[in-house]
Amino acid sequence: MARVIVVTSGKGGVGKTTTSASISTGLALRGFKTAVIDFDVGLRNLDLIMGCERRVVYDLINVVNGEANLNQALIKDKHCDNLFVLPASQTRDKDALTEEGVEKVLKDLVHMGFDYVVCDSPAGIERGAVMALTFADDAFIVTNPEVSSVRDSDRILGILQSKSRRAIEGREPVKEHLLVSRYSPKRVEDGEMLSYKDVQELLRIPLIGVIPESDDVLQASNQGTPAIHLKDSDVATAYQDVVARYLDEERPLRFVAYEKPGLLKRLFGGK
Amino acid sequence: MADASLQGKLIEFKGASLAVMTASLRDTDAVRLADALHMMLGGMPDFFAGEPAILDFAQLASAPERVDWTAILSLLRRYQVQPIGVRRLPEHLVEGARRAGLAVLGSSDLSGERPLGAPQVMPQTPPPVAAPAPAPVEPPPAAAAAPAPAPELEQAPVAPTLIVDRPLRSGQQVYAKGGDLVLLAGMSPGSEIIADGSIHCYGPLRGRALAGARGDTSARIFSTNFGPELVSIAGVYRTFERGIPQSVGGRSAQVRLTGTDNLHTLEIIALQSS
Repeated sequence: MARVIVVTSGKGGVGKTTTSASISTGLALRGFKTAVIDFDVGLRNLDLIMGCERRVVYDLINVVNGEANLNQALIKDKHCDNLFVLPASQTRDKDALTEEGVEKVLKDLVHMGFDYVVCDSPAGIERGAVMALTFADDAFIVTNPEVSSVRDSDRILGILQSKSRRAIEGREPVKEHLLVSRYSPKRVEDGEMLSYKDVQELLRIPLIGVIPESDDVLQASNQGTPAIHLKDSDVATAYQDVVARYLDEERPLRFVAYEKPGLLKRLFGGK
Repeated sequence: MADASLQGKLIEFKGASLAVMTASLRDTDAVRLADALHMMLGGMPDFFAGEPAILDFAQLASAPERVDWTAILSLLRRYQVQPIGVRRLPEHLVEGARRAGLAVLGSSDLSGERPLGAPQVMPQTPPPVAAPAPAPVEPPPAAAAAPAPAPELEQAPVAPTLIVDRPLRSGQQVYAKGGDLVLLAGMSPGSEIIADGSIHCYGPLRGRALAGARGDTSARIFSTNFGPELVSIAGVYRTFERGIPQSVGGRSAQVRLTGTDNLHTLEIIALQSS
């Protein structure tokens, strides 16, 4: 049975698109037929992160309006056979999204044999964000370890519990997963940042992983490659762990402990 | 041809209980009643918000020849009271009430009447002054205004407790109308809980909690992990700009009103946990 996953946060700039790109890639690398959809109409960036911005012909709005079909709009990922990208429109705005249109797109994707559909939500709590979460079965709540991100995540959780189809129809609720991103154990140690445990205690949903802060992410988006592809990167490993845990495999939590570098390292550079 | 057995299912009649308010009328003259209602509720015309009411005539000073039911019903509806029936009406007036569409109840049909405390404040608007706060409206004491007819309001029986078993998230709001509220999983900052009765919060109390929303000064707020943004009982409220007092922060605590009618203050006391 296909699962629809929404990657959302409320707050902007926390790592939703980075996460959507890496999670969908991770699932596809495991052999599942995966689609990732950009719901940020008018401010699209999933295509940039995935490296397919020059191959966009049709987009989500074209499909919703019936101006193109899914086969024409879906872009096959250059790194991964099982992965397809449905970009957002850049010239229109979110009013072009309709609930019936989105529902039809998701149903058609399921009929086409997709195992997972990842919905990359825009920031905020308005139409685009609500459309992205309406049909979700799972939700990844991406949260930075700081107070305003935590509050916004709490808000979006409330909206998920009241505006998702599962909530409205009284079915089993959307399964919530906390993903703490841009984590710096040193700053937690110094008291500048909340620890992942604090975040989990405040939001009270199960933790699916912690992604460390890293320059690799910027590098990856400049290259148009999802971060999970990078070799020797903590971020890539962390995302692989997240995908594994989502698929019910056990993985110990990494990249959360601060190790003070030895004297030599501190003298000659290093964090 | 419609199947006769299927047709029976189009309406089903079942027994149920209703929490209802009674309005005791000492007069049936619509003009005098209008004056009395205006004195009592003029500043809060929406106080009743469409609540159903049984009109009780046991206290009628003198039984008139006839009653202008249309005038009385439209007057009550203007104050958002929905009359649904009458009781203890003099025999000769019953037919008129029936024709006006009111149910005629026997005197033993209703039970559990209780007097209402003075309504002090509307659910949504705490007074702009922090504790101690004056009651914005005082209904005229029934004794003082000589034979002036005053519909005496009796409180509706308490509604069942509203129980919320998921964490209340920022931006969400819950209102327990006519009764108590129990939160089993706490509330986040930025959320709001309102109850006409008391509030019992198991889990972190982190948002705004307003108990006794219709003026019940005996309402209290109980919490196992005290840390709200604002607490209020019957409109008397307090915020915590300078932080939660150490004696109660993060602990089991209760909030209640002390003092007399004119000078209420909020007290917050730690509770002993075993």
